[in-house]
Amino acid sequence: MKLAIISFAHMHAFSYAKAIQSYPGAKLAGIYDDDPNRGERAAEDFNTQYYESLDVLLSTDIDAVIITSENSMHKVHTVAAARAGKHVLCEKPLATNIEDSLEMIRTCKENNIILQTAFPVRFSSPVLRAKTIIDSGELGEVLAIKGTNRGTNPGGWFIQPEFSGGGAVIDHTVHVVDIMRWFLKSEVKEVYAEVDNRFVSEKIDDCGILSMEFDNGTIATLDCSWSRNPSFPTWGDVTLEIVGTKGTLSVDAFAQKIDVFNERGHKYHYWGDEMDAGLMGDFIESIKEERIPSISGLDGLKALEVALAAYKSSRQKEPIQLSQV
Amino acid sequence: MNYVLIVGAGTMGTVHAHSYLNMDGVQLAGIVDIRADAAKQLGQQTGTRVFPTMEEAMEALPEIDVIDICLPTYLHLEFVKKAAQFVKNVICEKPLARSIDEAKEMIEFCKEKGIKLFVGHVVRFFPEYVKAKQIIEDGGIGRPGVIRTSRGGGFPAGWENWYESREKSGGLVLDLLIHDFDYLRWCFGEVERVYARGIKGREKLDYTLVTLKFKNGVIAHLEGTWAHQGFSSSFEFAGEKGIVDYDSKKAVPVHLVRHVDSSIQTAGVTVPESPLKENPYFQELQHFIHCMNSGQDPIVTCDDGLKALEIALAAQEAMDTNKPVFLKSVKEELTK
Repeated sequence: MKLAIISFAHMHAFSYAKAIQSYPGAKLAGIYDDDPNRGERAAEDFNTQYYESLDVLLSTDIDAVIITSENSMHKVHTVAAARAGKHVLCEKPLATNIEDSLEMIRTCKENNIILQTAFPVRFSSPVLRAKTIIDSGELGEVLAIKGTNRGTNPGGWFIQPEFSGGGAVIDHTVHVVDIMRWFLKSEVKEVYAEVDNRFVSEKIDDCGILSMEFDNGTIATLDCSWSRNPSFPTWGDVTLEIVGTKGTLSVDAFAQKIDVFNERGHKYHYWGDEMDAGLMGDFIESIKEERIPSISGLDGLKALEVALAAYKSSRQKEPIQLSQV
Repeated sequence: MNYVLIVGAGTMGTVHAHSYLNMDGVQLAGIVDIRADAAKQLGQQTGTRVFPTMEEAMEALPEIDVIDICLPTYLHLEFVKKAAQFVKNVICEKPLARSIDEAKEMIEFCKEKGIKLFVGHVVRFFPEYVKAKQIIEDGGIGRPGVIRTSRGGGFPAGWENWYESREKSGGLVLDLLIHDFDYLRWCFGEVERVYARGIKGREKLDYTLVTLKFKNGVIAHLEGTWAHQGFSSSFEFAGEKGIVDYDSKKAVPVHLVRHVDSSIQTAGVTVPESPLKENPYFQELQHFIHCMNSGQDPIVTCDDGLKALEIALAAQEAMDTNKPVFLKSVKEELTK
């Protein structure tokens, strides 16, 4: 199977490239990037060909593309790939607005190609184990979830809204909302959020606390803030505190780490399973077996809706019903 | 010598009684509880005389100069007013009362009668919380941004299951989260708006998540739980330059594990233990006694207790209405 990567604007492109190259039978056949320097360097790093034209890349015999461009470019790149008949794994958030997301989903459907949203946290071994525990009924009915997906200010285009669509809220809401939807098999009904700009000097939302209610009555909160500073031992976290009628479950997706103390300070070194490999494997197998991917474009849209509702709630200082988005 | 009468021989009465026993210049003179067994047990533990009513205690012990009310919340107003007839100093456990009206009535009653009223917001005496506040005030994290706190454990057991009754205790938000409301207000000043969601209608299971927006811009997220096993508390202050992080589950200097097969008996509210020469309850009560004698203002005033109650009631309202609640300050009304 031949795969290509469209843009190295998003840093996840590197781990996806590694995941492709270490997957049996998969080949990284090319890289397109609108920044020739970045594209050529990446092609060199991964020993593959750089294409300065997206159309030329899409006219080759590749089977699928990984889109890791700026959020605002996801639509253009996905639509182009879909029309060329190439399956798409798109970095999250799926897009910066609902209209683009819908167009992406529609175009992929019309061209009969797979659109998968990159939610690698679904392939985290601790998160998968938590899903098994919840599905077994051991926790009883899930009543509440307290989640965090805190991180570091990524800088660059991430803090330029014309490229990113927003700051911490659009960046860090979607992963954990996706996990919550997946765990609960229920959709977010209502969102309230406090969003602010308190960490970075640029004018962009860099912190937020979302409160949600799901259709099934479960309540949840999510801290999506870029509140980790450079001296914090790691980039951020994904945690879930789950309260059920029969017990509680604490999940910390990156707790499998060792602590290192040296002249560079105190750092966590993660030794758990790499989840990007799981995501890539699922995408590749879905294409091979011509099956529906385990994470769809619709999943990407649903998570994006929550992030957009959080912005609206914060502006209006009131809870937002999801149908109003 | 300061002579103390404790009213209420439950969990908090027991903690206070043991604190007074070790305090210089203080004598625990009597314990009141209408439950003869509870009174007798604590009386024997502490070598203190016990009485079924405050009136009988005061008749027998006219030297008492401070009465410490450790009763369920819904009895605070009645017993603080009663105590004010006998002594010049009253200590009342948190929360002050079930409602703003009750709390104001209590405060004004004491003010008119010249009674010093102290409220037991003990978190202000926990050294980890004091230290965190100090680091933040010294600029240790730069401008604070997002604050997270957590507090709780199992569902508390109490006399006639008073914790289960929102009428009597105010539930988790008033009884438990009020600690963090008071502490955070101490750190960051007044709250502008409150949003809260909690699980509803579950027997002996309660869990609430609150978001506070302070007037200075700080966002705080609070978890209060009576759905977990074993008490714990934690906080994280994230600022633009640094992070202050604490979790009682991880800061355990002494950990005894016994090889037994019988289950652990739990009684009353779980009280966190930490091997300090002077525990936070001791420090709190010693501070109150010092304020009584010196005329110094306490670290936490009854007006602070009222403000914390205001935030808690706003959280309760937010939970009931699914809407954020903007706080109306009660301070102006008080100073009228």
